[in-house]
Formats: sequence, C-alpha cells, structure tokens
Amino acid sequence: MTERTAKGVFWGGTLSSLALFLALTVDTHGQFAALTRADKLDDTVVAGKRVFERYNCNDCHTILGFGGYYAPDLTRAYTRLGADAIRRRLAQPEVAFRDSYRKMPNQHLSPAEIESLVAYLEWVAGIDNHDWPPQDSEARWKRSTERLLAAAALSPAAALVQQEGCLSCHALGDRGERQGPRLERVGARRSAAWIGEYLGDPQRLAPGSEMPGYQHLSAAQRQMIGEFIVALAARGGER
Amino acid sequence: MTYRTQRVAYPYMVVALLLFGLQVVLGLWLATQYFVTVPQGLVDIFPFSTARAMHTNLLVLWLLLGFMGATYYLVPEETESELAFPRLAIVQLVLLTATGVAALVGFLFGWTQGRPLLEIPRPLDLLVVVGALLFLFNTAVTMIRAKRWTAVQASLLGGLVFLAVLYLFGIPFYRNLAVDWYYWWWVIHLWVEGAFELVAAAMTAFMLIKLTGVQRAVVEKWLYVELGLFLFTGIAGTGHHYYWLGAPSYWLWVGGIFSALEPFPILLMVVDTWRDVRQRKGPMEPRLTWVYLVGGVVIHFIGAGLFGMAHTLPQINYYTHGSQVTVSHGHLAFYGAYVLLNLTFFYLAMPHLKGLPLGRYDERSGHFAFWCTALGVMGMSLAFAVAGVLQSYLERYLAQPYMVAQVPIRFWMAIAAAHGVMVLVGVVMTIRHLLTLRAPAGGGEAAAVAGAAVTLPSAAGK
Repeated sequence: MTERTAKGVFWGGTLSSLALFLALTVDTHGQFAALTRADKLDDTVVAGKRVFERYNCNDCHTILGFGGYYAPDLTRAYTRLGADAIRRRLAQPEVAFRDSYRKMPNQHLSPAEIESLVAYLEWVAGIDNHDWPPQDSEARWKRSTERLLAAAALSPAAALVQQEGCLSCHALGDRGERQGPRLERVGARRSAAWIGEYLGDPQRLAPGSEMPGYQHLSAAQRQMIGEFIVALAARGGER
Repeated sequence: MTYRTQRVAYPYMVVALLLFGLQVVLGLWLATQYFVTVPQGLVDIFPFSTARAMHTNLLVLWLLLGFMGATYYLVPEETESELAFPRLAIVQLVLLTATGVAALVGFLFGWTQGRPLLEIPRPLDLLVVVGALLFLFNTAVTMIRAKRWTAVQASLLGGLVFLAVLYLFGIPFYRNLAVDWYYWWWVIHLWVEGAFELVAAAMTAFMLIKLTGVQRAVVEKWLYVELGLFLFTGIAGTGHHYYWLGAPSYWLWVGGIFSALEPFPILLMVVDTWRDVRQRKGPMEPRLTWVYLVGGVVIHFIGAGLFGMAHTLPQINYYTHGSQVTVSHGHLAFYGAYVLLNLTFFYLAMPHLKGLPLGRYDERSGHFAFWCTALGVMGMSLAFAVAGVLQSYLERYLAQPYMVAQVPIRFWMAIAAAHGVMVLVGVVMTIRHLLTLRAPAGGGEAAAVAGAAVTLPSAAGK
C-alpha cells in the first residue's frame, strides 16, 4: 500500500461517515417533535428538567438508560408508579426507603419543585423510544396478563377451584369473599406442595382452622390446585 | 529530552497522576455503596451521585492533562523546535487544575450542571474553554513557526481541535431530554471514539517510532489507514447510543452495522504494533515501558473492541442498555485505551524529563504495580460483567423490580470492590514509582550503550 492510498483511506472513510452522520442528524431533528410529543413540552416540564439537573438526580438514576446505574431507571417511572407514589418518594425518601438496603438522599424539595418533577417524568414517559426499557413495556405486561388469563380459563386447576367453590370464602382478583386469606397472598407465601397437603387435612397443619378438608380430591388434583395458586402470586412488587 | 521547553510536560504528568489516585479512591467508595447499606444521614450529605460526579470528572481531567503533557513533550521533538510559549503552558496548567479542583469542591456543596460526566457548572465551563484555547494556541503556533509537518502532528492537532469543538455541544441547556442526550453523545462518544482516538494514535505512533526505531514512513502510512477506519466506524457508530432515546428507527441499522465494524481498526492497531515490535532495531529496553505499550494495545482491543461489540447490537442492547454491562465495558475500555496510553507515555517521557541517562530507570517495583493494577481492573470488569448479565436477565428479561433484581448483584459488586482494592494498591505503587524514578542500580551503563541507537531522538524516525 502506498502512502497515497493510505491517505485516500483516511479521507474517504472519515468524510463518508461524517456525511452520513450529519445527514441523519438533520433528518432526526425533523422527527424529534413527533417522537417526543414536543407539543406537551411546556414550561412546567422544562422547570422539572431543571430541578432534575439541579439535584444531580441523574448520577444515581438512569433516564432513557443513561446516567448512574445505582437507582431505578426513570424513563417510565410515571407509568410504573403514578404521580402520588413519585411525590411521596421525593418528599420523604427516608420514610419511603426506610426498609430498603439502598437509600435516597432527602433534597428538601419545595412542593413546586416536586410538582414540576412529576410533570417532567410524565412527559418523559410518553417519549416513543422503541418501547425501552423492556421491564416497563406496557405491551409486554398486557401480553403476559392475557396469557395468564387464557391459561387460567382453560386450566383444569382453575376448573377445580371453581367447582369446589373456593371463592365462596377466599378472594381472587375482584371476585370472591374475604372470609379466608386472599389466594394471591397464599400463593406468594406457600409452596404448591404445602397447599396440596393442607387441602387434604387443614387441621393437621393449622389446628383450629375453619377451612374444610378436601379429602375427596386426589393428591394429584390437590397438588394441581396448589400450583395454580402459587402461579397467581403477585410478582415481587416494589420494595 | 532534546529541547529545554519539553520540561513543562513534567508538572502536567505529576498533577495527572495525583488526580488518578484520587479517582481510584472514589471509585472504590462507589463500589462499596453497592453492597454496604450506607445510613441515611451520610447519604443526605454525600450521596452516591456526588461521589460518581467526582470519580468521572477526575478521570476526564487527568486524562486530558496527561494528553496535554504528552503533547508538550512530543511537539518540540516532532517540530524540531522549542515550544512557542513555555510559561503560558504553566499558566494553562494552573488554570485548568484550579478549575478542576473548584468543580470537585463545588460538587460537594451541590454546585453542578447535573448532567452525567458533564457536571462541571457552566461558569467553570468557560474557564475550561479558555484553558483549551491557550493549549491549542500554544501548540498550533509552535507547529506553524517550525514549518515542519508530520502525520503525527496533524493527527494530534486535528484530534485536539476536534475535542475542543465537541466540548461546546455539552454546554447549553436543552429543553428536550432526547435532544439533550443526542448532543451529550457528541461530547462523550465522539470524544472517546473520535477525538481521543486521533490523539491516542498520534501518541502511539510517536512512541513506536521512538521505541522500535521502525521507519517513520511505515508507521505514518498505517496511522492514516487506522485513523480512516477508526473515524469511518466511530462517527456513524455514534448511532449505537441513539437506539432508545426517542430517535428514528434507522439508527438501529446505522448504529448496529457501524459498531459491528468497530473492532477492526483496533485489531489493525494490534497487528500493526506487533509488526513494529518484531521489526524493532534494538533490545526491548526499558522492559517496563514495552510491557505498558503492548499491554495497553491488547487491553484496548479486549475492553473497547470485544466488550463493546458484545452489547452494541440492538437486539442485545435492548436488554443490556443502562445496566452494569455498560459499566464493565466502560472500565476496561478506558483503562486499556487511555489510562495505559497515558502511563506508557509517562514511562517513556518522565525518565528523560528527569535527566536519567538514555531514559533508563530502575524498574523493579513498577512491574508488580503494573500487573496488580491490570489484573485488578480485569477482575473488576469481569465482576461487573456478571452483575450486568444478571441484571439484564432478572430485571429486563424477567421484569423483576429494580431493587429485587439488585439483591444477587450485591455479591458481585463486592467481588468488584475486592479487585478495586488491588487496583488501588497497584495505582498507588505506580504513582510512587513514576514520581521517584531513579537510574538503574548497576549495569545500567552497559544496557544504555546497547540501546543508544534506538533511544536517541536523532537516530529515530529520520
């Protein structure tokens, strides 16, 4: 390779990449308004962005995935938490995260600062960014719930729960009674095997319980109901 | 050292090294906060965010001061003339150091621009710009007066001008967050994968000419090719940061394709260095300088090339974006590409600046310090990588809440911090070694004579 060719590689490579990059930058600017809902970007939102920067929030939290990695991403904080929960965290983080192993500093924000931050996070949550982050994707949540509901309607275990009238004492979702514990909570606390055994003889595992026994079901059927209830457990929840 | 004014490089390197030490101390404290519960009272006065702002700004500050010191050492030899304004170079160092220290103290009291890596408040930004202009003025006038142009100089000056211009995009307040990040990357990405690469390539070419004695024409020819490929892949490769910030979807294609090519220029640099090393015209002395040179090139390839490539494809990045995977890549890439580059240059220049005969020095504790730091950084980056993959799987894929997914990560952050202790020990030893360089004890003369042909500036690169 001659020096002339080498210089050609340098200028050809640099200028072609630069030309492409600048052309796309111009085009991107034309599309930002629609993709970020710039019409909703009012002075309160901008004031929120200034508050966000004044207290250096971004060096612990990420937003659009950029920033410190020490605290949750805030891109969809508004859809995940809602305005009220955001307000409580901002006003009294030492209370909101009392039991957490990681703390958030109390920045002594004024009520106006808190409101502008809420407006800012609401605007950010509406940015069309190819549905990132995955854990906060509403499309994913809905798909997952639909799958769960479809499986529940078809599953033999769901049919057993209906047939045995479990919901005449227990609550499940919006349905059922409140005499016994809510089934989602049981699912979060107990294993499928434990529930199956309990159904066979409630008095043995919980003397004095008002729960009737289900000895007439086979062990396999009782185990199936146990697995169904464990699957209903609300996932994790926030700390 | 052939030119008297090269001496201004020395204080730059000393300040850079001290800031490097402080950066590592803060880094260790940051890692600790991941696995130890810091009480609310301490979090209220010295939160993670403040320590992180200090850690990252110290990195940028010391790397830049290192580049500037290297420039002041390199330019007189390349132009074969004295520096135009040596006193101004000292004024510039004092100005930039004072600005940096003011920014760090300001962070402690909540004075910040509040944007990651660009936390330096706007009034201080202006002082940084003044410092940069003084630097460019000094360098450019020296080159113009000398009327002797080399590709090394052109790459260096081009990189420095590019660097200064890009800094301006980080100064304004942007109303729209998406636009804000769009230009934030013009500073961050185009610095590390554009301007810094130009500076680094110039410094590496200069060192290869000095150390190997390989013909300048050969080194410079490959410098053009490498830079062409670096900028071809690097400029449009900025797109890999534009996937999820509210930009159009063609960036998924542009970012994905151009970043897939990004390891190639680094690989070419590895091959190129290896060829120059094999064709060297003398013994590999001082051994430690060579260890740094080759180590830097290899870890540059692993950290920037491989660890970067591992998560730039949009299909993968959708799950890894903004996780500890980025942290892993960031640490290894910066260490390999720019920390080792600066340290290699310091090991090349400081013995000459101290007037040690033929640039030979007592290497003994330096080798242990190198391996302690390098293995520490490698172990730390691997621990971050495990934490990052766990986070991507638990939080992003299984949709566990952030704090639930962080529980198993705490263990890996403790492993990272343990390696951080190794890094701290190695770095403190390196700094001590560089600041107290001595002539080799005995036998130095004979070795010096054997290597004279390579080390003398007049014999190299003509």
